[in-house]
Amino acid sequence: MIVYILPKNQARALAAALAEGYELYGPVLHGISGEPLFDRIGDPDAIRLDAAIPYNPPKTVVFPQAERILSYRYDRETRQAEIVRDDLVRPKALVGLRACDLAGLLCLDRFYLGQEYVDEVYRDHRKKMFIVANTCVRPFPQCFCVCTDSGPAAREGYDVALTAVGDHYLFETGSEKGEALARRLGLKEAGPDADAVKKKTVDASIASFDAAATENKAWISRVMNRITTGFIGNDVWEYIGDQCFECGACSFVCPTCSCFNIEDLAARDGRTGRTRSWDSCSYEGYTRMAGEHNPRRPVEDRRNKRFFCKLSYSQSKKYLRPGCVGCGRCVRVCPGDIGMSNVVTYIRREITKAGAK
Amino acid sequence: MSGANPGAIVTVPEIAVIDEIKDEIEDVRTFYFSFENREIGRNFRVKSGQFVMCTVFGAGEFAVSLPFSPENDRPHLSVRQVGQVTRALHELRAGDKIGIRGPFGNGFPFEAIKGKNVIYVAGGIGLIPLRSSIVHVLQHRADFGRILLLYGSRSSRELMYRDMIARWRKTEGFETHFSIDRPEPGWTEHVGFVPTLVGPAAIPVKDTVAFVCGPPVMFNSVIRELLAAGLKDDAIISTLERHMKCGIGKCQHCAIGRTLVCTDGPVYTYKQIKTLGEQI
Repeated sequence: MIVYILPKNQARALAAALAEGYELYGPVLHGISGEPLFDRIGDPDAIRLDAAIPYNPPKTVVFPQAERILSYRYDRETRQAEIVRDDLVRPKALVGLRACDLAGLLCLDRFYLGQEYVDEVYRDHRKKMFIVANTCVRPFPQCFCVCTDSGPAAREGYDVALTAVGDHYLFETGSEKGEALARRLGLKEAGPDADAVKKKTVDASIASFDAAATENKAWISRVMNRITTGFIGNDVWEYIGDQCFECGACSFVCPTCSCFNIEDLAARDGRTGRTRSWDSCSYEGYTRMAGEHNPRRPVEDRRNKRFFCKLSYSQSKKYLRPGCVGCGRCVRVCPGDIGMSNVVTYIRREITKAGAK
Repeated sequence: MSGANPGAIVTVPEIAVIDEIKDEIEDVRTFYFSFENREIGRNFRVKSGQFVMCTVFGAGEFAVSLPFSPENDRPHLSVRQVGQVTRALHELRAGDKIGIRGPFGNGFPFEAIKGKNVIYVAGGIGLIPLRSSIVHVLQHRADFGRILLLYGSRSSRELMYRDMIARWRKTEGFETHFSIDRPEPGWTEHVGFVPTLVGPAAIPVKDTVAFVCGPPVMFNSVIRELLAAGLKDDAIISTLERHMKCGIGKCQHCAIGRTLVCTDGPVYTYKQIKTLGEQI
C-alpha cells in the first residue's frame, strides 16, 4: 500500500480514467430533488464525492432490484424448449463507496460466494470490479458505523481508498490495479506524515458522531448475545412487531439484505424471462407455501427474523462480522420506529430493566 | 453443513422430457422424465431424500422431493396440484418438456442407521418423500432389523402408490399397517388417524429409527406417540418442506431459525427440529 496525493480538482480525471474501461457507478445528485443516489454515471463530471451517504445502497450494482437472469422459449406444438442464460459480466467501477457500504458489499461476497454454493449470478456481477472507497470525514445524522465496526474509514476490499484532507485526497492503494491507476494519473506520493494526517482526520470524524451512536457502541455486542441466546421477552418482539408496516423498505435500503424472489414472466417476444427481484422477510407471503400453509404468521415472528439475521452469531459466521454495517438507512426509511439503532435501544432498555430487578 | 452436491445443476435448468404420466390419487400425478441431453442424465446422481427444482415453462419453478430410488427406479416426480405452477404441470402430457435443477439437499442417513429397526410413518402424500428410502431399505433388507410401515390417508382412494402398496403388503419381512380416517364398506383394516396406528403396531423401540412425514397436525401427534413409546428424539427423522426459490441457500425463503431447509435439510432429526425455534 502506498499513499498518493490526488488534488480535489483531479477527481474528475480519476472518474474519467475509470470510465474508459468500466461502467462507472458513484454518488450523484438527483436532477430534481437533489437527493444523493448511488447510480450509473454517464458523464464523469456528474460524480459528487462530497455528497452525503446515498439514499440507495450500492448493492443495486451487484444485486439489482429486479433483473432477468435467464430466458426461455417453449413451443407446445413442436415441443421444442430452449433456455438461454443472460450474460451479466460487465466490468464495473464503483467510485466513492462509503466504508459502511463497502463492508456491506463484503458481507454479500461472503454470503453469495461462500457457503455451500456459489451464486453464479452475483459472481458474474462482481467479476472485474474496481472499487474506490471514500472515508467519511464527518458522519451523517443517522450513521452509527462506529458501533458496528465498519467505518468511518474502509480497512479492506478496495483498490483505492480516498480520504479528503483540505484541498486534496489521500489516495491509498489497496491493489495492483490501484497502483496502476495512480501511475496513470501521474500522482505524487504523499509525505511521510500521511498516516498521521489520516488518523487525525478519522479520529475527528469519530469524535463528531452523535451521542446516541457512540452510546450504543458497547451495546451492540450485548444485544447480539441476547438475540443469539433468545433471551428477549416476547413483549419486546411484539412491541417491535406492532410498529412494522410490512413495507419492506428496511430490507431494500439495507446494504447486506440479500433475500430474493424468482418469477417467470412472459415477455412480448414470446420468450419467458426468469426475473430475480428483491424480497423482504417482513412480507406475509415470504414463507407462504402453495396450499396456503404459512409457518411464519404473526408480524413479530417476521420482524424477529430480520433482527436475528442481522445480529445473531450464527448469521455473523456467514458474514465474518455482524450483518449490520451501521449505515442507518433503515432508521431513515422506517415509517414505524424500528430502524436498527432503535431496536438496539429497545432491547438495551429491556436488558437494563431486567438487570435492575 | 452438508456441502454442495457435486454435479448439481445450479442455475440454468436442464431440459427434460416427460416420458410417461401416471394418475395416482385425486390431484396427484407421477411424471416420469429423462434428460434431453443424455450426458446430463448420466451425471444426474441423486441421493435418496434429496429434492429438485422443477420448471414448468411459462409458469415458474417449484421445489419437489424425489420419490425414486436412484438404484432401482426410473427418475420421476409425484406432484399434487395445489398452486399455480403445479396446476400448470398437471396440464402437460407425455412428450412435453420441463426443466430440472438439482439435486439439492442432504438426503437420508442410511449409513448411520445400518443394523437398526426402521419404522416409516406417513400420512397422505407424506409417503412421496419417504418412498425412495423404503425402496432402498427393502433392497438392502439384510442390513436392517425389523422394517415397518404405518401409512394412512383420509380414505382408501387417497392412499398413494396403489401398485407399490399391493406389492409391499406381500413383501416378506415388511410389516405394513394401513389406516383410513373413517369406515368404508370393504375396508377391513385400521380406521382412525395415522397416530392411532402407532399403538396397535407394537413398534420396536431399542435400536430403532422412525421416518415421519405428513401434514403438520399429523406430524406433531405422531411425534408425541413415538416419544411416548420410548423413541429418542434423535431417532426420529423427518423431511421438511418450505417455500423455496433458489435451492442453493441464497434466496433465504426456506430459513427456519438458523437453518436453511434447502442446504442444511430437508432431512432433520426431531432433536434438530426442536431447536430450530420456529413452527414446522
